[in-house]
Amino acid sequence: MTQQHQGAQGGQGAAGTENPYARSYASQYGLPRQRTEEPPLPEDTGTRAEDGPAAPPQSGKPAKPGRDRYLDLLRGIALVRVVVYHVFGWAWLSIVFPSMGVMFALAGSLMARSLSRPAWGVIRGRIRRLLPPLWAFGALVLTLLFVGGWNPADGGTWSLASVLNYVFPLGAPPYPEEAGFPGGLLDGTWAAQAAEVLWYLRTYLWFVLASPLLLWAFRRAPWVTLLAPMALTAVVGTGLVRIPGETGNAVTDFAVYGSCWVLGFAHQEGMLTKVPRYLAVSLAALVMAFGLWWASGHLTADGWDLNSIPLAQATWSFGFVVILLLYSPSWQELPGRLAKWDRLVTLANNRAVTIYLWHNLLIACTVLIVDKFYELPFMDERMMDALSTTYTMWMFILTWPLIGLAIVTVGWVEDIAAKRRPRLWPDGSRRGTGRRRG
Amino acid sequence: MARSSRHGAAPRVRRRRLPLRYLLPVLVLTALMAMLMLRGYVHSEILADHRVRPPAATDQVPQEVLEGGPVIDTRDGTPSTLSVPDGRLVLTFDDGPDPTWTPKVLDVLKKHDAHAVFFITGAMASRHPDLVQRMVDEGHEIGLHTFNHPDLSYQSQARIDWELSQNQLALAGAAGIRTSLFRPPYSSFSDAMDNKSWPVTEYIGSLGYLTVVNNTDSEDWKRPGVGEIIRRATPENGEGAIVLMHDSGGDRSQTVAALDRFLPDLADQGYEFDNLTEALGAPSAHTKVAGLEAVKGKAWVVLVQASMRVTDVLTVGLAVIGVLVFARFGLMLVLSGIHARRVRKKNFRWGPRGPVTEPVSVLVPAYNEAKCIENTVRSLMASDHPVEVIVIDDGSTDGTARIVENLRLPNVRVVRQLNAGKPAALNRGVANARYDLIVMMDGDTVFEPSTVRELVQPFADPSVGAVAGNAKVGNKDSLIGAWQHIEYVMGFNLDRRMYDVLRCMPTIPGAVGAFRRSALQRVGGMSDDTLAEDTDITMAMHRDGWRVVYAENARAWTEAPETVQQLWSQRYRWSYGTMQAIWKHRKALVEKGPSGRFGRVGLPFVSLFMVVAPLLAPLIDVFLVYGLIFGPTGKTIGAWLGVLAVQAVCAAYAFRLDRERMTHLISLPLQQVLYRQLMYVVLLQSWITALTGGRLRWQKLRRTGVVGAPPPEASMPAQRTQSAGERRPVG
Repeated sequence: MTQQHQGAQGGQGAAGTENPYARSYASQYGLPRQRTEEPPLPEDTGTRAEDGPAAPPQSGKPAKPGRDRYLDLLRGIALVRVVVYHVFGWAWLSIVFPSMGVMFALAGSLMARSLSRPAWGVIRGRIRRLLPPLWAFGALVLTLLFVGGWNPADGGTWSLASVLNYVFPLGAPPYPEEAGFPGGLLDGTWAAQAAEVLWYLRTYLWFVLASPLLLWAFRRAPWVTLLAPMALTAVVGTGLVRIPGETGNAVTDFAVYGSCWVLGFAHQEGMLTKVPRYLAVSLAALVMAFGLWWASGHLTADGWDLNSIPLAQATWSFGFVVILLLYSPSWQELPGRLAKWDRLVTLANNRAVTIYLWHNLLIACTVLIVDKFYELPFMDERMMDALSTTYTMWMFILTWPLIGLAIVTVGWVEDIAAKRRPRLWPDGSRRGTGRRRG
Repeated sequence: MARSSRHGAAPRVRRRRLPLRYLLPVLVLTALMAMLMLRGYVHSEILADHRVRPPAATDQVPQEVLEGGPVIDTRDGTPSTLSVPDGRLVLTFDDGPDPTWTPKVLDVLKKHDAHAVFFITGAMASRHPDLVQRMVDEGHEIGLHTFNHPDLSYQSQARIDWELSQNQLALAGAAGIRTSLFRPPYSSFSDAMDNKSWPVTEYIGSLGYLTVVNNTDSEDWKRPGVGEIIRRATPENGEGAIVLMHDSGGDRSQTVAALDRFLPDLADQGYEFDNLTEALGAPSAHTKVAGLEAVKGKAWVVLVQASMRVTDVLTVGLAVIGVLVFARFGLMLVLSGIHARRVRKKNFRWGPRGPVTEPVSVLVPAYNEAKCIENTVRSLMASDHPVEVIVIDDGSTDGTARIVENLRLPNVRVVRQLNAGKPAALNRGVANARYDLIVMMDGDTVFEPSTVRELVQPFADPSVGAVAGNAKVGNKDSLIGAWQHIEYVMGFNLDRRMYDVLRCMPTIPGAVGAFRRSALQRVGGMSDDTLAEDTDITMAMHRDGWRVVYAENARAWTEAPETVQQLWSQRYRWSYGTMQAIWKHRKALVEKGPSGRFGRVGLPFVSLFMVVAPLLAPLIDVFLVYGLIFGPTGKTIGAWLGVLAVQAVCAAYAFRLDRERMTHLISLPLQQVLYRQLMYVVLLQSWITALTGGRLRWQKLRRTGVVGAPPPEASMPAQRTQSAGERRPVG
């Protein structure tokens, strides 16, 4: 490239148009890409103080304490995708939008930002915000389990001790494959359904605890730290080395989503914008292609469900998240047609933990309601057939009001955990609860 | 075919008035895909199920069935069986009709005056309906053998229903009848019924079908030899029998030969060869269909025939595009190699008058280029060749002209005009230029110090009328930039070198080109007849007998569109403009002299590669998608990767010729799955525009886009007279 040409680009940049050079300049000089007042997952709130001085010099107007609505939108989509997947069980959803990878990347990004403050305080804050919602959920599930006749001591001392994971999820909280339910209302798999999602909290906790170390490593050897979890997945997620039991699950999950978590760091630290975009996108596409190829050769009983194929999940999610974060447009508010989803996105982000924890149990509960439909007086043979063929759809429809109910009844625990005034329905629409208008 | 960004801001064609432009390509592609799928369906590529169930227990099969005759009747719920009377033989042929062997079987049967039963599959019957008609005409009986031959014991009830109804549909379409005979795929003798196949038989009986298995199995599909087939097919002691044979599924020459011996031999033993209902003395299994059923059957058969023809055409199209693509790549590699070697020889000289040192006028037409114009002009000031710079401000509203004037540079003049479009601006510039060699560039383009010198050296050859430079993408680090970078490097280092050698360069890029004033004057200057005035003028030069060459070292750095929207409208103008220019110069085809030479060699060549070939390009994607979904997936991906590899080789060669770093080639795979499609959709759109009254459309685009703002009505005549005057060309 000639000197003259570089001059031409400089001219473009100086004119202040939306161009990559200007962006990389911003990230190079550490302008915060996002400022969070009410982070969604149990992220720390104590950031307002540091936002003040670091806010970008928007002359005239005072810097708005806004959130990156693009990331909020991604988190919202990820949550909805998880719920849809758990209702319908469509394997291809894991390819269309790798929700877990996206959620871990977003959390990793926020974690990296918070870690500008002393690590111990940050970790404590994260744990403080994670645990109370889990306790609320665990209290109900354990009560139901005990009433239903589950005795964890049947499996020995170790099994009894693992119940402590409901208090502090260093491992995934245990549950019986076959569990009673008071009154026999739900079938024996209800506990498995309710608690199978808890691995996410364990993995999240592991990442939070490992983050100071990971960030330290990332700053010294960014590429190695970024890719190491995928390499680890290739070892522990492919049967090359098999770690038995819950430890094995924990290590595999950590490895599968580790690269996404570190990608969050990379996004926060502006590393992604330093790589020429064509290169980043092309390499990400190649990594994703590898993921699909690997999946095609290692299909399980679930078919193309990447959740059952660790290495494919790790690589596909990684590439997907790279592309999502590369094109991260840093919205102050949702643009255009997306604007009408604003409240839902806000609500989903403010109650992300609640929605995630409770959704699968609630999906199991929808069966209770849909089964009642059969007893309606006007049901004849034909309508019953129709109901049977559309059963899952009714479950899906009913899941949402139930989630709404959960938000109202237990959502406030998230606020308590964050040392915030409890709110019933934090969709940002009213004064006091509003983010931007408040 | 990379050129440069054209004049002014990209037109905003956001709200298209005619959704037809999108609808039509989508409809065409969907129809092609549907036809392909229909073909795949009747070729058992879709929904094919080749599982065969191993034998199971038989305790649930009624004893009278296991030990009974080969015709099983469960229509009234209680199973009963029938056998063929002694001295009668019912020949049955499965899996047909087959275009090669069924006619031969029919011929032999006719020769020996024998009737038989054909158990046809719906897929084969749909493909060869005339054979089914012939069977019926010649007194044979038809039975169902499902649509595409799955083992029914694996299938759901719905699938079984569907297999039968589709088979009946094909039969109705082919011969206008229904049948009540059925033979399950992979069946053999009655005593082979087992717990898995019996429920299926019962169910099919409940639908009103007679299930027909067999007494003797010729096992002709194993091709054991004529003698062996006859031995296995022949029943013992003059008993009546149903004989299983096949008229499809491979080489059946042994079957035909066996029949030809077997029929007269057994006739001598006193056997009669009847179809099933004749042998049983029952009413025919056939019933005529009429009304809606018949129409549906006919429609089905017609649709399948059409889809086969369409896919045949598509396959030919794919072959054509394959040959074209590879021929083009081969030609480009060879010719660009020749070109590079020729111009890089040690003491290469363009012509007797070199080196060219005379001063040059550089025309910079500018429309709202405030952001870039200073860099453009300053880059010219650094030129190592004597230049005068003329910036023609085409009615900019952002102070472009003022910026240039404020630079107060020597040898830089600003000429202002009311907004009249790029061709007019260039003509005005030519009129104001002092020198005889004229370089034209874009307002957003930056030259290297040596660009002008390199660009005018070919004028040492007095027959050279115009020179194309080497436009390069500056913003190549974005994805869309990298794709265009690859495209530009290939376009300039392969295409243009090839066109140079073949003497039919279609376009001098607006970003970097040089003209001899006398040549410009002879062809009447720039014209606004087309959206691609640079292609238009280049073709005019060829027709006037001038040589148009490529100067590889005259590099100009230009800013490629950064959004799909901008890229779309740029390419739309290019491809539509190219089509307009080809149309405008179509008369060259029949003219004499250099014009005729260009018309009969260059024009078809350019049309083939720039307008026709991209039209067939979607076929690659149609077949790719089809192959990926319906298989053979591995081979499809392999073939695609093969084509990609060839492209990568060509691209790498182009990059080497241009001494570019290869890293950008990593975006080539993505380019093939995202960018190429965009390019041909644009071309399709241009075609549709051209075929649906494009001229109106063009003017609209022109006014809102190239010119920026609609000129007042009053200025229209003025513009016209001006451009008419410029035919001379003086402004």
